[in-house]
Amino acid sequence: MEDGGMGQRELQREVIDTHLCTGCGACVGLCPYQTSYHDRIILLHPCDIKVGRCYMFCPRTPTNLETMRKSLCEEKDLTPEIGAVKGFYLTRATDEQIRKDAQHGGSVTTLMTLALREGIIDTAIIAEGKENFLHRGVAVNDPAEVKKRGKSKFIVSPTVAEFNRAAKGEAKKIGVVATPCQVLALAKMRLKPVPVDEGNIDKLKLVIGLFCGWALSWRGFMELLRKKTGLDAVVGMDIPPRRHTLEVYTKDGTIEFSMEEVNSCIREACHYCFDTTAEFADISVGSARLPGRWEETRIWNQVIVRTQRGDDLVQLARAGGLLEFREAPGEALDELKKSAMEKKRTALKSIAARSGSSPDLLYLDRFDPVVRMLQG
Amino acid sequence: MSKLIAQKEGVEYLLMGNEAISRGALEAGVSVACGYPGTPSSEIIESLCRVAKEGNLYVEWSANEKVSMEVAAAASFAGMRSLCTMKQNGVHVASDFLLHLAASGIRGGMILVFCEDPGALSSVNEVESRYFAPMIEIPLLEPANFQEAKDMTRWAFELSEEIKNIVMVRSVTRLSHGSGNVIFGKLPNTKRQAEFRCDGPILDPDTGLVFSAPVVYKHQLQQEKIKRAEEIFERSPFNTYEGPEKPGVLLITSSICYLYCREAISLLGVEDRVGVLKFGATWPLPPSFLKRHLSLTDKILMVEEVRPFLEERVKILAAGMAPEMGIKTFYGKETGHFPSVGELNPDLVVSALGKIMGINSYVGMPADYEKKAQALASTKNPQRDLTFCPGCPHRASFWLIHNALQMDGRRGFVCGDIGCYSMAILSPAGGFGVMKTLHSMGSGTGIAGGFGKFGQFGMEQPVLTVCGDSTFYHAVIPALINAVHHRANMILIVLDNGGTAMTGFQSHPGLTVNAMGEEAPAVDIARICEAIGVKVEIRDPFDLEETRETINRLLEDEEGVRVLILRQICGLSPEKKAAKRYEVRIDEALCLGENCGCNRLCTRIFRCPGINWDRQKKKARIDEVICAGCGVCSSICPAGAIKREEAA
Repeated sequence: MEDGGMGQRELQREVIDTHLCTGCGACVGLCPYQTSYHDRIILLHPCDIKVGRCYMFCPRTPTNLETMRKSLCEEKDLTPEIGAVKGFYLTRATDEQIRKDAQHGGSVTTLMTLALREGIIDTAIIAEGKENFLHRGVAVNDPAEVKKRGKSKFIVSPTVAEFNRAAKGEAKKIGVVATPCQVLALAKMRLKPVPVDEGNIDKLKLVIGLFCGWALSWRGFMELLRKKTGLDAVVGMDIPPRRHTLEVYTKDGTIEFSMEEVNSCIREACHYCFDTTAEFADISVGSARLPGRWEETRIWNQVIVRTQRGDDLVQLARAGGLLEFREAPGEALDELKKSAMEKKRTALKSIAARSGSSPDLLYLDRFDPVVRMLQG
Repeated sequence: MSKLIAQKEGVEYLLMGNEAISRGALEAGVSVACGYPGTPSSEIIESLCRVAKEGNLYVEWSANEKVSMEVAAAASFAGMRSLCTMKQNGVHVASDFLLHLAASGIRGGMILVFCEDPGALSSVNEVESRYFAPMIEIPLLEPANFQEAKDMTRWAFELSEEIKNIVMVRSVTRLSHGSGNVIFGKLPNTKRQAEFRCDGPILDPDTGLVFSAPVVYKHQLQQEKIKRAEEIFERSPFNTYEGPEKPGVLLITSSICYLYCREAISLLGVEDRVGVLKFGATWPLPPSFLKRHLSLTDKILMVEEVRPFLEERVKILAAGMAPEMGIKTFYGKETGHFPSVGELNPDLVVSALGKIMGINSYVGMPADYEKKAQALASTKNPQRDLTFCPGCPHRASFWLIHNALQMDGRRGFVCGDIGCYSMAILSPAGGFGVMKTLHSMGSGTGIAGGFGKFGQFGMEQPVLTVCGDSTFYHAVIPALINAVHHRANMILIVLDNGGTAMTGFQSHPGLTVNAMGEEAPAVDIARICEAIGVKVEIRDPFDLEETRETINRLLEDEEGVRVLILRQICGLSPEKKAAKRYEVRIDEALCLGENCGCNRLCTRIFRCPGINWDRQKKKARIDEVICAGCGVCSSICPAGAIKREEAA
């Protein structure tokens, strides 16, 4: 950093130019200088402010993760692999229609609609799939609107930008469904590294994190898809466990892409990601990984409860009979931790390859205890 | 009634140089005048437009310079006197026709007035079109003051009829746009009848075919005409000598430099030692007249702007005369006494002459004057960009093109063209710096059509070009047809601001009124494009978001030529000027100023002259006098601090 600058120029040099940008949208909507287009963050005009929120909130600028763990989680819950764990469950929506409209068990949809209905939040920020996979964050107030948007997106949506927009408006209590990079950005905002305008971040009352291994680059994936199908035909996608394929569901049936094909379209930034489970969320949700038939396990979710307010919401859903619970096999949590750790290890390798020197971990701190454990 | 058609023989009027040229044409009984607007030539046709009705003239702003010369030539073929005007590079546009016209010859007197811009004050070139005269073998006249501007224009028609060929008359910015006293001559009372006689023997100059063949025969004829002109120039009253019988130094000059020479001699007080040989009839240079004056002295200083046109010709003739006349010493551009670029001024002449004569008594402008003035100006004056006017639709258009290209992210660029919008090439770091090439009118589309074919060589950058509405008719159409036919991958954005705005709202074929104020059928750009087979969309650049989305969609749509017309009338157009659409004000409580979240977007990036930065309050401020009320700034303010209300 020249002159200790922490503004747009450094954001460009350290994040955009190095392909670390996740497209989360944290730097968008705060000012007129950044915007998002397709799945990319665009610097429209130069801004010469020395210390800017764009840089401070970015999940790929240097972050003291240890401080963050200690200030946002209870220390007793912390695990090195997947962050704070207050509870670990397998759940699914009791409502069959919700399950049908959702990616897997419909737990996120259920929890978000419940939070809206109970007044825990008045606005839910969720990703909305648009034509040609051009996704965006939307703010909704009606629980029915949440239900329409339950599918996984596979391509980044600048959801945090929508939070920035909504927080400036009339919303008072906001809940966000976010990927790990987006959750990290929101967590950085919560630490208030700069005097934040009008206390907008205090409106953030609930964060539901989504497990995420990687996202696809829009342009690369569009080219891949066009080789095999028309874009209009796609109705859904999924990654079945242990099969090393991406399944694309179309009106005319399922098309499989090998992971080799898919890998070439993965967003470069995802290779440098240290977090698969959205460690700074209130609740993190992913697809279940159970022994047995995929068709049966895919309608379940793994749920990590991380904070008190997360636990309160999950218990409310249990009490209201909105979520079904199933006993998690002992090895499920271990397997999750193992794969999370594997992802972290790979990320460190990729980061060192990118920076060209193993002590230089770009946005990560080599003295972070989890980093040291992996490098030790 | 305009003074230009006043029957006031012998009365002195104050006229702009271009008006003096118009008066000269009127005194010569001109019937048809055509031109294409271009600084510094535009006022000639403009002033003739105003007297067209009373003077029984046909005046038009043609689609381009070549067409203008063709229309004027038709008048000549029909036996009338005609004038066509253009700026210096316009001659290059018209040159193919000029070449063939000079070979075919003309009938009624026809003159080409071209106004040059030494120093490129209002141009993207400072070309010397005087060289067309020897290249195409036609006579060249160069008036040196305002009276001569009128008198030589009138005489040029007579010369043209005498030799049956077109005559070039050259003006420069300081003559065209300066003003001086002019004594009027007589206006003729009658106009010639138009008739094209073409039934005579084919080689008969007055009744035969009008064309350049048999080429060698006609070429021979043309050179005889030049020989005739040379004889006439030997006795021309416009070639003059002033000074002592045996000057120590002879200045040879033409055009406005004549006045600089006179002033320099006076400043140095060397009237008794220095003579001035001024050529008004410059090409072909009369050798006997020249020899008489070269013989007066041994030291000759050539004083002219830009290229050494006279210098070269004088030296060639002097070389031939050397056995009889002796060897002379020439000073000028080749000896480094004058630069070959930019304008001259009296101080430069003083300096060159002083050097030759060993006089350093007069110091004009000190050498470091300009540096000092600039240093002073930069501390006392606010920084002023060459920028778009307040309310200019181009500001919004380039804002959108810039943003769309940034968002697209494939390093797309704009091939520029000639108009106010050319200024988009001057802001490489600001909000508009998207224009990367700039050449002649219509070239943006031609160049883009080339870039748009290079996909096979790995070119992935999107290619855009822009042109104004007048430029579209001038030279874009053939380039567009070429690009369409060859399936070039490009976007043409027509910045349609409803007139030839840069040169002062002259009419063009897209408007419903012609140069003389008569109703005219408007030729629709969109329909032309559609007829060529291009999909056309029309947007308002003031609808920022919709238009930006359209540009991005067109960028994504990688199929052949796409045309977008951005239609919004120029903020200075006569129908819009002073009519504010919105009253704009700043809500200071909302203005974020330099804080994170804005950082002065309006005054640092958008930079409309109608918005100022109040250094004391650290807030933006609308300058109500300057603001044109377009309201675009209120759409870009991130804090909603720029409020606009429909003006009453």
